[in-house]
Amino acid sequence: MKKMANLHARWLQGTIASLCVLLASVVGFQSAAIADETCMSPYMAKIVGQEDYVYIWTLGKEGVGDGSDKLVTVAVNPESPHYGKVVNSLSVGGRNEAHHSGLTDDRRYLFAGGLDTNKIFIFDVHTHPNKPSLHKVITDFVEKTGGMVGPHTMYALPGRIMVSALSNNKDHGGRTGLAEFTNEGEFVAAHWMPTDEDMRGAQKVGNIADGYGYDVRVLPRRNVMVTSSFTGWSNYMMDFGKMLGDAEAMKRFGNTVVVWDLHTRMPKKVFEVPGAPLELRCAWGANNNYCFTTTALTSQIWLIHEDDAGEWHAQSVGAIGDPSQVPLPVDISITADDKGLWVQTFMDGKTRYFDISDPFNPKQTYEHQVGSQVNMISQSWDGKRAYFTSSLLGNWDKTGDQDEQFFKLFEWDGEKLVHKFTVDFYAENLGRPHQMRFGAYSLYSQKPNSEGTMLSQRVE
Amino acid sequence: MNKSVPVVKVLFVFCIALLVTAVSFFPGFADDPGMQNKVIFGPGDDKRGYESADYTTNTLDLQKRIGKEADLISFVRQPPLGLPPVPVPAENPVSTKKILLGRKLFFDRRLSINDTFSCGMCHIPEQGFTNNEIETAVGVEGRTGKRNTPTVYNVAYFNKLFHDGRESTLEQQVWSPFLARNEMANPSIGYVINKIKAIREYDGLFEEAFDGRGPTMETVGMALANYQRTLNSADSPFDRWYYGKEKGAVSEQAKRGFQLFTGKGGCSACHLVKEEYALFSDDRLHNTGLGYKESMRSGSGTTSVQLAPGIFTELENTVIQSVSRAKENDLGLYEVTENPNDRWKFRTPSLRNVALTAPYMHNGSIYTLRDVIDFYNRGGIPNEILSPLIRPLHLTDSEVEDLVAFLNSLTGGNVTTLVTDAFAAPVGDMGKDDPNWTHENKLEY
Ligand code: HEC
Ligand code: HEC
Repeated sequence: MKKMANLHARWLQGTIASLCVLLASVVGFQSAAIADETCMSPYMAKIVGQEDYVYIWTLGKEGVGDGSDKLVTVAVNPESPHYGKVVNSLSVGGRNEAHHSGLTDDRRYLFAGGLDTNKIFIFDVHTHPNKPSLHKVITDFVEKTGGMVGPHTMYALPGRIMVSALSNNKDHGGRTGLAEFTNEGEFVAAHWMPTDEDMRGAQKVGNIADGYGYDVRVLPRRNVMVTSSFTGWSNYMMDFGKMLGDAEAMKRFGNTVVVWDLHTRMPKKVFEVPGAPLELRCAWGANNNYCFTTTALTSQIWLIHEDDAGEWHAQSVGAIGDPSQVPLPVDISITADDKGLWVQTFMDGKTRYFDISDPFNPKQTYEHQVGSQVNMISQSWDGKRAYFTSSLLGNWDKTGDQDEQFFKLFEWDGEKLVHKFTVDFYAENLGRPHQMRFGAYSLYSQKPNSEGTMLSQRVE
Repeated sequence: MNKSVPVVKVLFVFCIALLVTAVSFFPGFADDPGMQNKVIFGPGDDKRGYESADYTTNTLDLQKRIGKEADLISFVRQPPLGLPPVPVPAENPVSTKKILLGRKLFFDRRLSINDTFSCGMCHIPEQGFTNNEIETAVGVEGRTGKRNTPTVYNVAYFNKLFHDGRESTLEQQVWSPFLARNEMANPSIGYVINKIKAIREYDGLFEEAFDGRGPTMETVGMALANYQRTLNSADSPFDRWYYGKEKGAVSEQAKRGFQLFTGKGGCSACHLVKEEYALFSDDRLHNTGLGYKESMRSGSGTTSVQLAPGIFTELENTVIQSVSRAKENDLGLYEVTENPNDRWKFRTPSLRNVALTAPYMHNGSIYTLRDVIDFYNRGGIPNEILSPLIRPLHLTDSEVEDLVAFLNSLTGGNVTTLVTDAFAAPVGDMGKDDPNWTHENKLEY
């Protein structure tokens, strides 16, 4: 109990900080209150109430429709006549290994990366929230960053997008870094991950400093940025079955989480977190100085947490399913009250709910079969709606009958998931749906006269 | 509050034998104390010892991967000790301008349909100009290649190129990877030429190297062949002992290994060693049974899969198949001749720099030299048309070790020079002056 008590002791201090954050967001966006998916940057503008659209960054598949990657827009407001229907599909050309996407802090632009071609597509989602347009394409990501490959997480910082890469242009392996862009898509700086040869001032806590990357999250209150580690291009683009049979390839997975100084962008500690720690989710509570991650290969929940002395630690706090069967935990989502963690396991197609009221002792309280495979989740801020997509990576998805490709909405009543609708992405000739981001008219309502125009455009 | 960490229900394997194997994986690496040399003798992302739970990284930094230009043409004019004169076709004499142009093309990732693949992404300089990190190649869009990437060290000497020997000159060879859907996936020869013409950095370079001729199917092949023809690597400890008559250049163990190589092991029947020089290949194709074994494999059972350092699990093959796309069999020379007697015949590779080019064989299925020799010692894989030269050898354990020591003495003396020269080559990526091929019609289609 000691750790928890200590955490509670920081409550007052934390509350003041949280009040400041709340105030800042209220001043910045007078219409903003609480509502949004729970995994976004704390610097980001919030949606009022019900989201209107979900933007789904979708992988093209040869033989399905035009075969091109596309941004698919689905109407999700029950009041829309098109509720549960695709209202727009914007092909960007090529199969770029569409993967993650992220909105700018003002939520006007959506940055969407291609893990294969290293392009970053910047969509304008504010002019017509129901019909995003392609605003700009960054084609020189590799050159600008000095050799990073695989732009992955697009994470909003004030006026900036922090991009975590997965690979490099020298050996297509896992050594990589972070790259910073302005909201206009101009390159600002490259920050390479610490390696044994150049720790960049960081401390190697365990035996491992692999220099790999995957996700990035921040805890501004604690001046902390956290990164995780996956694998290089050769593996994430390889046929999954071929890779599992290749013992050399299986050695090329990340085993580290790095804690950084957010302001200076300098790495501080390199933790050993074995078995490919992927998504990072930091707690929202003002006194909750911790983030969660799950390891894809070893199926563990890890807590990255700060102690009383301000030191950061990483520790395994629980298993997901039967790790010997490699259920492959992929996307995770923390609830706004820091009490629950949704964990999707790709191989068995399940979503699992963990009670994380005690972050050191997560307990699974619910599971549900979403499909034959499942990857991403996005939940509304109030936790009542959870959206799921099926695709993991172009060459990792299941084959044959098990290759279901869907976008599904469920309602969560606190006890069970209730299915609302499914969009079959193969039946619609779209491809493989991956990352979801929310859009809403309420975000842009401060623009003079925009409210009426926007609403009338809902004819779609 | 129970804070006990749930134990991973997987197998923890601490296998000393594996560790020993791992150390022999890149022996040159272990020998060289200097950071400069470390880069040259294996992947900068060093995974030796990964089998063990106390695996410790020794990761090199990409920002410190710094090159130094070499006088490449000297390796054609005067090949290192142990190699014969380099055959150079009369219609494509070597010149420094052509070599530098060829090197630039070799590392230019824009010369693929989606700007992601150069020759050098598979033939990685510090990984023995091959890829030590995967068994068989992965190309554009992650498409599976069924064969292991061979080294391009000493390719100047082969008349039969590729594992199935289907190509005859380096000049022609380049068009296979340029156009293969699972390598660089360019839609046509014209597309590659047009792209080179649209990249401003190439302005004038072809004209200067080829007496006024611009980029064409022929000049592109000639430039790349020029660069590859310089990657001759010998003057190894073995060469200094055997051809240079330096008594102490190799260990007694390696000398015994050489006796076995040419004697009891029967290796030199195919991996030729001549009076004046050694290419360690007969440039011919043989059936060792490995291709047969792979074609006849069964899908049932389980596979041991490593999840993290020291953590392994047994996965049902049916689970692996649920995430596998169909796999082609590899019939070797038969795919060229369609003669059933040619099934599973592959070309004898050179063994020069073999310590740097793991994993081995046409399918990358053997990871260490020790395991290759064990494979031969067992007599390969019996099949109806197995080469008569492959038979159980009855080598003792120490004889096997002697052979390994010999193979480890074949690392060329100029490897560092050739690799750091490759580091000095510009890596071609989309820059601000390059058109956005997809969204602007700069190739005029
Ligand atoms: C996607 C990985 C990949 C790329 C890109 C690639 N290669 Fe290769 N290379 C291979 C593989 C695999 C083989 C063996 C193929 C076979 O035997 O069918 C090979 C074979 C060769 C050989 C024959 C070597 C021998 O011993 O016979 C040469 C020479 C060569 N490549 C040069 C090049 C050049 C030049 C380029 C660029 C124009 C290139 N490669 C691009 C993977 C690649
Ligand atoms: C019948 C001819 C023949 C004989 C005899 C032979 N080899 Fe080979 N060797 C080959 C062929 C052919 C290959 C390529 C096989 C493949 O790609 O599947 C090969 C591959 C190898 C390789 C792997 C090289 C690489 O880069 O992948 C090594 C090492 C090797 N041989 C060593 C030996 C040794 C040591 C002996 C003696 C014990 C020996 N060979 C005897 C024909 C022969």
